[in-house]
Amino acid sequence: MMETALKALFILLYATFVGFMFMGIIRIVTARIHRRVGPPIYQPILDTIKLLSKKSNITHGVIYDFGVLYALGATILAIMFIPLGNIGVLRAYGDLILITFLLEIPMLGIMFAAMSSGNPYAGIGAQRALLTMLAIQVPLGFAIVALAEFYGTFSTYEIVMAQQVSGWSIAHLPLLLAAIAYDLVLQAMFGKEPFDIMIAPGEISLGPMVEFGGKHMGILQIQHAIALFAETLFFSNIFLGGAVVTTFASPVLNTIASLAILLVKQIAVLLVATFMGAIFPRFTIDQAAKFYWKWPTIIAALGAILASL
Amino acid sequence: MINELMIIIFAPLIAGVIAWALDIKGVREAIGVIGAAVPLAYLVKLYPTVMGGELIQYNVTFAGFTFNFTLAPMGMIFAMIAGVVGLAAVLGIVSTARSSYEWLFALMSLTGVFGIFLSYDLLGFFIFWEIMTFGSFMMVLKYNRKASLKYFVLSVIGAYAMLVAIGIIYAKVGSFSFVEVYRAFSQDAALGMVGGATVFSRSEIALIFGLFLVAFGVKAGTFPLHVWAPDAYTETNQSYTAMFSGVLSKTGVYGFILIYMLMGYRLMAEFGAFRSAPAFGYIIAFLGGLTIIVGGLLAALQEDIRKLFAYSSISQIGYILVGIGVGTALSIEAAIFHAISHALFKGLFFLIVATIVYRTGKTTFADMGGLAEKMPFTFAMAFVAILSLAGIPPLVGFASKWVLFEAVISQNLPILGGMVFFGSAIGFVYLIRFTYAVWFGQRPTDLDDTKDAPLPLAIGMAILALLNVVFGVAPGLVARELNKVIGEEAITGTIWELNLGFGRYNALAILIYLIVGIVIAGIIYFLGAKVRKVPVTDTYQSGNPVTMEYNLTIRRNFFLPLKEALAFWLRISFDKLYRDIGSWVEDLAEVLRNYVYNGNAQSYAWYLAIVLVILAIWGV
Amino acid sequence: MVDWRLFDPLFEYARKRSMWIVSFCTGCGGIEMPPLATSRYDFERFGVMPNPSPRMADLFLITGYVTPKTLKRIIITYEMQPDPKYVLAHGSCPLNGGIYWDGYNAIKHLDKYIPVDVAIAGCMPRPEAVMDGIQKMMELIETGEADGWKRYKENYEWYRKNQDELFGEGWREKTARRWIPWLMDKKKEVKEE
Repeated sequence: MMETALKALFILLYATFVGFMFMGIIRIVTARIHRRVGPPIYQPILDTIKLLSKKSNITHGVIYDFGVLYALGATILAIMFIPLGNIGVLRAYGDLILITFLLEIPMLGIMFAAMSSGNPYAGIGAQRALLTMLAIQVPLGFAIVALAEFYGTFSTYEIVMAQQVSGWSIAHLPLLLAAIAYDLVLQAMFGKEPFDIMIAPGEISLGPMVEFGGKHMGILQIQHAIALFAETLFFSNIFLGGAVVTTFASPVLNTIASLAILLVKQIAVLLVATFMGAIFPRFTIDQAAKFYWKWPTIIAALGAILASL
Repeated sequence: MINELMIIIFAPLIAGVIAWALDIKGVREAIGVIGAAVPLAYLVKLYPTVMGGELIQYNVTFAGFTFNFTLAPMGMIFAMIAGVVGLAAVLGIVSTARSSYEWLFALMSLTGVFGIFLSYDLLGFFIFWEIMTFGSFMMVLKYNRKASLKYFVLSVIGAYAMLVAIGIIYAKVGSFSFVEVYRAFSQDAALGMVGGATVFSRSEIALIFGLFLVAFGVKAGTFPLHVWAPDAYTETNQSYTAMFSGVLSKTGVYGFILIYMLMGYRLMAEFGAFRSAPAFGYIIAFLGGLTIIVGGLLAALQEDIRKLFAYSSISQIGYILVGIGVGTALSIEAAIFHAISHALFKGLFFLIVATIVYRTGKTTFADMGGLAEKMPFTFAMAFVAILSLAGIPPLVGFASKWVLFEAVISQNLPILGGMVFFGSAIGFVYLIRFTYAVWFGQRPTDLDDTKDAPLPLAIGMAILALLNVVFGVAPGLVARELNKVIGEEAITGTIWELNLGFGRYNALAILIYLIVGIVIAGIIYFLGAKVRKVPVTDTYQSGNPVTMEYNLTIRRNFFLPLKEALAFWLRISFDKLYRDIGSWVEDLAEVLRNYVYNGNAQSYAWYLAIVLVILAIWGV
Repeated sequence: MVDWRLFDPLFEYARKRSMWIVSFCTGCGGIEMPPLATSRYDFERFGVMPNPSPRMADLFLITGYVTPKTLKRIIITYEMQPDPKYVLAHGSCPLNGGIYWDGYNAIKHLDKYIPVDVAIAGCMPRPEAVMDGIQKMMELIETGEADGWKRYKENYEWYRKNQDELFGEGWREKTARRWIPWLMDKKKEVKEE
């Protein structure tokens, strides 16, 4: 019991801290691509402290508060199910479909909070977010189906273990196709260009986020950090082999080594998304839907069919 | 005739007749509720016996036919759904009924449903099927003639299809009893496998299957026979729709399972398998997948709150059909599980719609907005229902959907897997549209004195919401009973946990960690500075001021980009196709009336002469 | 509860190093923002970030001349920002009218309507000057002298009186009734007073 609680606390703190670093990395890398200096890597932490220490906050009602809390709560819930190297609290229940759903739930909380404010920009943002989700769901579904059918199990942890034996998922053709499709989907899940239609700063004033300020926005920053960590971790686990290091005698060293390996893989996933985000302009919503329903869907469906043979 | 099964079946009808005859306000409501509560009480009483493996049988001989009523585990589960959702819907009808007429026919259709689930022979099944159809038809007729006719015509087509199929079976088997029919079909299957002479030929079996597919497909609302559902669900008492969508559509589902129970072996032996699913089942599953997508996309584009949920109901039935179609023990359990959760959350949704329509008198999204403040209880219920339908753990909608996903994907059926994934996203999409347009945003001034739900409706909603939560947190409760129904330990685990062997789902752990997560978030929240409540007009409009006089909430055409993206597909409408066929038939009849049945006695004399001549040539 | 005064230096540092600008460029000075944001001057080094929504913004840039029409929006946007909030007036026009000193339709003293923490003179101020203004603002935040939001609360009646004198009572509702019908029905030409 005590051990589980400590592990959960460690996962939470590690995910939050690394997530903030990821946000910093995104900003620095984007700045360097623009030939700027960019902010320090700990800038997102400063932003969050500033937002949380605001001296006045507004609310639009109970749902407005609860939606924000629910978003962070659901993200914390999701991170517990994803195997993190040798550490795992609920990894026995880390079902592919469950995690896929759990990674989408926080958005529902944000939608509820945003819409309860009654701001039309938030309404449009919610509409765009939902249509983006509808668009990505097709390739995402096929990618998950491909994984489950290739490995014959839905457990993320077992998939990680299977990859220790048979090599990374992307070494197999059907899963390589699925991974390509999933990576394109990840771009929309991060909300990076060219699929940042839902927030579209300057056009619809951050969409769902328009009314959040002060501590609400601070909580959403923490949520964003953990979600960034969770999404990259999930991708590294299911497609890039995860990390289960057993070479050292000491379990502490093993844990540190596997966390380091995972970190490298996660940053690789993150950088791909950042590069894509930095060089593309924004799609409109129907272009995004048509894009996702065409190439990623074909690639992922091909992967799923090949995997099921 | 005092028998438990008879009481279960006929108590609603008798109560309905009494309520209709007395027609005293207050009394008829009490009698109606009692009429719906009595069968449920008896079902609960008989539940341990039936689930213990003991069948409760009763035979009635009437007009030379023996009707066999049996309470088997499968029928029991469905009858329990009907009992619970029926009671909740009847509680809703207490608030929303306009006349005693509705009491009679609502309860009559409930009798039909109980009869269907308890009959153990094809004739009884058919008769109660017709009673149910008649009751629901009369409910729609009272509200909208056109919608009811559409429902009636499609129901009649379904009923004739079923009648023909039953006739073929009776002609060959010589009995209506499920037991006899089952025996004949399994003998056939065994004979067919060794190459012996079978009672039913390959084409006959295909015909029977096709006819049943039409008959049950109409009632379940399968694509492309779903066209009656949006109109019929919309144009009736919305409390009754809770029963209509929650229970009556389940008879179609039960029918599909019946195909498996009676003819499964034979169909499997005759048509083989497609991948790992039976070929005939794959047809059902594929139609189910199309139903999910078509129903869901159309639901997102509706402008009427009742229509949205009607299409959503069609979409959810698609899931159940996918589960049934895949045809493993696990997937059928998943289908029944989803049937239970669909009845719970969709019944709840239609009661919520009933409350909204009852309190505001409006049905289109364009007239609504900001009701969450005025109807907090109803909104709380809607919140549960939304989370359940969208498949948010730990509510029952997720548990059943999860089992269904795993059941389908584990059978290596990638296309169906993709379809169900798409379906879950589209569920999010139309629910958020409902949430935004009805509960949030600026409130039109004429809704300022809207009151919360009346007590009977509130009780009905609370029952269903409670079950949504309980079965969600403890999905093992349902899974255990489903194992007994199928007679196979397809889902193991404790009451908190579902274990399928290749995947595990622990609802309790999810609940605990979700609460922990929300508490952590709450601590951060309460450490921050105090919040100040601002009115809905205090929102950022690029610096422009807002007043309540102009409603800026997007309520019309919320998913316009989706509509534009799908413009090509939306032009293809089965509803329109059927209407065209209808008008062709009308034209044909017109032509016949002009040239053949022209009312001229001389022509008729000529026809008679021609017929006589033909008969003479034939040599009769 | 925790005594948060202990952490005040940290909060002040975070506030100083993470100023989010509301992108509400009201005048010609808005054109100075692109060089500030891009590779030549890069204000993101100091954590300054343009942000579309006032709800999460700290720094309000008044970039250039102010007319009654924009002043209404400025006041509404300013009041939406959560405390603490800072205003940086940009160029001569918000100070004394600048080249519009005798214009009939320009606000000569922005200070009468909302509190200004830092003003940068010049027509237009070069990006270096704006950068200098931002540095000055950071200093003021650290020393606690950037207290415009406190002054606005304390002297709200005075500010309110000045605003109402200019626009007339109930100007918010009147403006709302003017712009929304215009938005809904573009054919109708509506004049802003």
